[in-house]
Amino acid sequence: MTEDVSLPQRRSVAVPTWSSSLKVLLRADSTAQMRTSMSLVLTFALPLILLVATGLGKNSAALGGPQFRISLALTVGLVSIGTVGYSLAIARDRDTGVFQRLRVTPAPTWTIMVSRWIVQLGAVLVMAIVVLVVAALFVGVTLPPQDYLFTVLVALLGSAVFLSIGQAIVGLIASADTLNAAGRLLYVPLIGLSLFGNTDRLGTTVELVSRWSPGGCLETLLSAAMGATAWSGQSWGALFASVGYTVVFSVIGIRWFRWVSH
Amino acid sequence: MTSALRVTGLRVTYGPVVAVDGFDLEVREGEIYGLLGPNGAGKTSALSAIEGLLRPAAGDIVIGDIDARAHRMRAKAQLGVQLQATSFHSNLKLLELVRLFAGLYGVTLSPAQIRELLEEINLQQEASKRFRELSGGQQQRFSLLIATIHDPPLVLLDEPTAGLDPQARRQLWDRIERFRKESRSILLTTHSMEEAQAVCDRVAIMDHGKILTVGTPAGLIAAHRDDPQVRQAAHGEVTLEDVFIALTGRALRD
Repeated sequence: MTEDVSLPQRRSVAVPTWSSSLKVLLRADSTAQMRTSMSLVLTFALPLILLVATGLGKNSAALGGPQFRISLALTVGLVSIGTVGYSLAIARDRDTGVFQRLRVTPAPTWTIMVSRWIVQLGAVLVMAIVVLVVAALFVGVTLPPQDYLFTVLVALLGSAVFLSIGQAIVGLIASADTLNAAGRLLYVPLIGLSLFGNTDRLGTTVELVSRWSPGGCLETLLSAAMGATAWSGQSWGALFASVGYTVVFSVIGIRWFRWVSH
Repeated sequence: MTSALRVTGLRVTYGPVVAVDGFDLEVREGEIYGLLGPNGAGKTSALSAIEGLLRPAAGDIVIGDIDARAHRMRAKAQLGVQLQATSFHSNLKLLELVRLFAGLYGVTLSPAQIRELLEEINLQQEASKRFRELSGGQQQRFSLLIATIHDPPLVLLDEPTAGLDPQARRQLWDRIERFRKESRSILLTTHSMEEAQAVCDRVAIMDHGKILTVGTPAGLIAAHRDDPQVRQAAHGEVTLEDVFIALTGRALRD
């Protein structure tokens, strides 16, 4: 089948810059994120429902003050986006070969993952702002401007913690189905532990574990950020613990991450 | 004639398992080269190493004049790749996927240009659909468009016609022929001897991670026509499949 013809010289294809690769990936990932109805529910509906629902009923005050309700709503949003939504989306794309298709392009592989992280952080930022606006309009909690900024920054730190947990899960569990089940199982303790850091109703051991759990640390920091409690040694401890969780889980998640599930 | 791809002494391992060993291959410019082998022969592992998806334990891979192990990104930019099992972002429309992959290769396309490209492969009506909503043949055409969006000199196709009906398969062969006329080189893996004979200039039969024989389809048949094992496998006139069976055995593979 070979024809003895002279072939035109083909040019060499240039390599695009990492910034242009990241830009097109960000555009695609953010579009995909906005089109996922489940991610929208997890991002906005769940925290807002919780924010409003915890204020209903005559015993609602026993759950905590308005700031506690806001921090609980933010925590639920962060766990939903970071630990459940992110890890499941990554596992599904890995299972179906989306990452392999991207990896054969000249885009640096780190841009594929960084783009996903930036989109998740963006979702957290929007979620935190929406929760704070709804809290101001419908729950009657308004904060000084610097506390709003502080709260959003803490939400971003919390996002890093729960994204790193999501990364660790997706690094350790290969199958999307197993990961889905594990994510749901983890969801309850991650949220539940954040509830009991300020009370010894379940005993001092549970209180201690709860206070220093990822969710408990976030509760402590959010409480200080919104001015419900003063910034203290415990706040510093929660800050360092959160950074530590992020580093440890990120290292686990990156070290054991595989681009293919088989 | 110069080489579009030259692989020498390639070795790919997965822990203690050796998938490819002592693998040598050369695809000339403008050539369509078929890699044949039973399941588990190491075709996809060899291709994955060339594509930069895994790091080989040993060996050299030169794409054009680029050392692919030393300059991975530059090498990847020269390749158009269609993977065996591939998928795209499930929530993006075809238009957006074309823009994404064009962008990843540094190609900027206007919406009108993207529509023109989709029209070329008869998918203009599907521009707003998701990849998963396409038929098998449409998915294959779209994957091939994405693989060649940056006009690469070398195209790697991993079992491109698997699961396609005869019409879609013929259409793909026509497209591969067009690639040849555009002076692209193609390395494809296939289980179809009919396909290898129809489109490939040369074929290599591999098994257990090694290339067993290389030649034109007609040349391989002529060279092995009188082998006792080939005669035993043949039902009448000797075919490329008879040569393949004789060289790789009759035992079923996973």
